[in-house]
Amino acid sequence: MYSVELRDATKRYPGGGAEPVIALDDVDFAVEPGEFVAVVGPSGSGKSTLLNVLGLLDDPTEGRRHLDGTDVTSLSVAERTAARKESIGFVFQDFHLLPTLTAVENVALPTAFDPGDASERAADLLSRFGLGDRLDHEPSELSGGQKQRVAIARSLINEPAVLLADEPTGNLDTETGESILAEFERVKEEGVAVVAVTHDPLVEGFADRVVELTDGVLVGGVPNGDEEGEKSTPIDRTAPAPEDR
Amino acid sequence: MSRTDPETRSGLGGRLRGWRPAVAMAARNLRRNRVRTALAVLGVCIGVLAVAALGIFGNVLALGAQDAIGDIGTQVVVSPNADAGVDSLSDADVADIRRAVGSPAVVPLYSDNAVVSGQSAQQFATVYGVEEPALAFEAAEGRLPERHRQGAIVGAGVAEELGVGAGDTVEIAGSQVRVVAVLVESQTFSPVAPDDAVFLPESAFSADGYGQALVVAESGEAARAAADDIRTEVNAREERVDLFELAAIVDEINDFFGLLSTFLLGLGAISLVVAGVSILNVMLMSTVERRQEIGVMRAVGVTRRDVLRVLLAEAGLIGAAGAAAGTLLTVLLVAGLVLLTAEVDVALALDPTNGRYLLLALGFGVGVGLVSGAYPAWKAANERPVEALRS
Repeated sequence: MYSVELRDATKRYPGGGAEPVIALDDVDFAVEPGEFVAVVGPSGSGKSTLLNVLGLLDDPTEGRRHLDGTDVTSLSVAERTAARKESIGFVFQDFHLLPTLTAVENVALPTAFDPGDASERAADLLSRFGLGDRLDHEPSELSGGQKQRVAIARSLINEPAVLLADEPTGNLDTETGESILAEFERVKEEGVAVVAVTHDPLVEGFADRVVELTDGVLVGGVPNGDEEGEKSTPIDRTAPAPEDR
Repeated sequence: MSRTDPETRSGLGGRLRGWRPAVAMAARNLRRNRVRTALAVLGVCIGVLAVAALGIFGNVLALGAQDAIGDIGTQVVVSPNADAGVDSLSDADVADIRRAVGSPAVVPLYSDNAVVSGQSAQQFATVYGVEEPALAFEAAEGRLPERHRQGAIVGAGVAEELGVGAGDTVEIAGSQVRVVAVLVESQTFSPVAPDDAVFLPESAFSADGYGQALVVAESGEAARAAADDIRTEVNAREERVDLFELAAIVDEINDFFGLLSTFLLGLGAISLVVAGVSILNVMLMSTVERRQEIGVMRAVGVTRRDVLRVLLAEAGLIGAAGAAAGTLLTVLLVAGLVLLTAEVDVALALDPTNGRYLLLALGFGVGVGLVSGAYPAWKAANERPVEALRS
């Protein structure tokens, strides 16, 4: 069973003209638990769309989507929110921490409105990422690498099946980027599927598998040996790809 | 979240628990831009001050007027209808009136005019003949007899003019009469004008009919009912009597002050609406600025409802803070007014009905916050996170 899986997924946006923009073109993509997959490709190739569709922030126009063995192709807004909280962790290029909250509170944000206090678990997670002495610091008092560690801790607060990272090293220097990628390796060892969309060759070096997305067409999206994933997708594109971000 | 909503527990406690983290987060967000928050709070504060202060001023005016009008509303003056050829009220008429009104006391009066003299001064006054003065009047000095058999009861104005008190002697139409009581100065306007009158026993008059009859009721409503009864029963066949009824006038005066209060409240409400618009503006600006943050919250699994709660709590806190400050300022303002203005009675300012306006303004302040926060909150909570995250 894959942690997250797309089958024949197509994402079309209504373009400015008559032709819709095809951001994902009949994509097959699957990640096993504990696997670290890097998705590479030029700007505008549909990487962010892929991440949004995987992360239940956006729905595919066609095709099926499975999360942890459950079909999550078409869910209501509330169901998607619940599924995101339950099974998906996000790490963003810009960290996206809330400036008014401390590190612990940022980590506990996904559960902040639930009964029960998750701050102990949040503190544990932060300690694991070497931020045990920064628990009550606000984001403005943290360095870029520290912020990204807080973000990773936040993505793990609900023990997700999948961690989705959008250019996780994009705003970090090489050394810090490497240490963040090392954290991803630790995360995947706990059985979490990690998908990172990146331009950074450094990320490719840490990944178990690198897949390439070009103009919405994905190559090598499914682990080797999967029959369904072997089929070749005919490229049939008439419209340019949209802006990536 | 139909599948895994952990907050479907019912009960107020559960619902309040859901709000607590939202309020805590809202408070921090408000602290982030203190100047903007303070200005929005100030707006509500002024609005609430306007509503509460104008409301209370209107109320104090109305209460003051009621005080001044006093209890004239409880009296009905019945006089013979000269147009129908009735010159005086006979004993039968008085009996009819008594039967018609039921419980309220009916005090018939003979009336005449005479020169009344004291030691050093004299005055032209109305002289009434009355048997049971205690039913309709109050004594400031001396005692009103149950049955008025001898002596004179002097109105406050006459007593002052002539410089006489209870126990003194006055001369009325040539005869010396001892003053048994002086009436309390009347607060009211009445055709009987007791201040400028002298009351003698009925035996002093040889007239064959009463000039007027006073109907004294317990309340304005009873007075109105009595007047209606007289109209339907005594005036059933012919218009024998004229009624002078102040209850209707009091009603109109009260209506006027009610209108004035509403008008003043309306003036105040305009400033509260302006305050609401400023909250709307602040909330729209801050949700636009925090679009990405809200998108992140939604992306990591915070529900639309919780985002809505945080933003509504922000607007509600602005409203509540402004309302509390405005209410406090109103209390200070009214206190200052009472201290500085001799005309405003402390009792009027402390009247419990004024509290209604304070509560009303307080409620309006919070309400304005919530109402003007609702649209920006709804808009932000319902934005698709994928759009919000796009920088």
